[in-house]
Amino acid sequence: MMYVAEAAPHISIAAEPLFHIGPFALSNSGLLGILGYIVLIGLLIYAARWAQAPSGSRRPLLAALIAWGYETLYATVQQIIPDRRLARQLAPLPITIFLFIIVQYWMGILPFVGPITWGGVPLFRGLAADLNTTFALAIVTMVAVQIYAIKIHGFFGNIGRYLRNPFTDPAGAFEGILELIAEFSRLVGLSFRLFGNVFAGEVLLVIIAFLTKYAATVALVPFYIFELFIGSIQAYIFFMLTTVFISLGFASHGDGHAAPDPAHLPTDTSAAANEPS
Amino acid sequence: MILPLTYLASAEAAPSGDLFAALGIDWTALVINIVAFLILMWFLGKFVYPPLSRSLEKRQDDIEAAAQAATETRERADKVEADVQKLLTRARKDAAEIMATAKSEATELLAKSEQRSREQAKNLVDAAHDDIAKEVENARKTLYNDAVDLVVQATARVTQQTVDAAHDKKLVAKSLEEAR
Repeated sequence: MMYVAEAAPHISIAAEPLFHIGPFALSNSGLLGILGYIVLIGLLIYAARWAQAPSGSRRPLLAALIAWGYETLYATVQQIIPDRRLARQLAPLPITIFLFIIVQYWMGILPFVGPITWGGVPLFRGLAADLNTTFALAIVTMVAVQIYAIKIHGFFGNIGRYLRNPFTDPAGAFEGILELIAEFSRLVGLSFRLFGNVFAGEVLLVIIAFLTKYAATVALVPFYIFELFIGSIQAYIFFMLTTVFISLGFASHGDGHAAPDPAHLPTDTSAAANEPS
Repeated sequence: MILPLTYLASAEAAPSGDLFAALGIDWTALVINIVAFLILMWFLGKFVYPPLSRSLEKRQDDIEAAAQAATETRERADKVEADVQKLLTRARKDAAEIMATAKSEATELLAKSEQRSREQAKNLVDAAHDDIAKEVENARKTLYNDAVDLVVQATARVTQQTVDAAHDKKLVAKSLEEAR
């Protein structure tokens, strides 16, 4: 068993560089991330080809499963954002985030991730266990929130969601400041939640392998299953929060601000906006 | 056992005072990650999602079309049922009217038949009466004539002479008239 071999487990919060390509360092998370990208693109191209197959032809289970997953996610986006045109425009971002996270998370718990080393450093590390990746996803999400909010409210209308005249609307001005703080806290929350879960999962596997020694082959199985489950949950949470944050960006706060096109208004997402921990 | 783990974990934490560096945030890696993700999203949005979405939307359209067809069929069936009900009602009404008409016509026909039968019977009876009267009259005449003949014959035998047959008959007839 892969995790049994080491005398003491190797735990590092940051991804570790393996070698440099010009000015860029390729880290162990980056290496597995490239594999993850290849696997993800390969799987989706495979599913897309089968989706183009003439109706009546029997799809393989994997292609059908991917298509079903895509359809479920797409339907969820449509439920949150009922405007079909806007949902179609928006859907690629949260769906890509979901697929990216789930593939990278599951790649990170493969048995060869950790024990194979290169110069004393693990050769592979889950890309989702790299804060650079989760932070990048959060930045993309929050920038997308702002872009879609500007599309709906206009540039100054969107600024008006955060900055209001404290003399005419003191409560609104305070609420705007809170809203601004909330945007940054969402950015941090999104990135650290995912990173924390993935990193904790990997550490858990390493520790269980280290503690159980030669019984790790048996002892790790439930933890692997647990991690597969957690991976899908985390991917879904990120997907859901991305969709909800964007739909919240469509909502207008208070009076005196640019009213969005009613056709573009999402359904009430206040309940869904309560972030899971 | 836990102590070396704690040591290993904490040893990573703060090589310098930079929080981002301690967390492993490298701005170059961050930008590469963002760019790589955006390229992935563009690629999937361009080449992978459209066929999947088309398949999904085609199925949705098929479902909507089937639902609409079902609704239309149901509406048509309801309309046909309503028409059938209307036709049945009209047919029942027509049947009732026809029955009523037939009954009244039958009653009228029966009455007419009875009337005609009565008339025919009366005519027959009247004709029979006339025939009987005629027969009686004829019989009377025959009887009368026979009686005259007999009287003439009897008188001739009594008187032993016959003057003239025609004259005798006239005489007898006059006598009978007087006697009547």
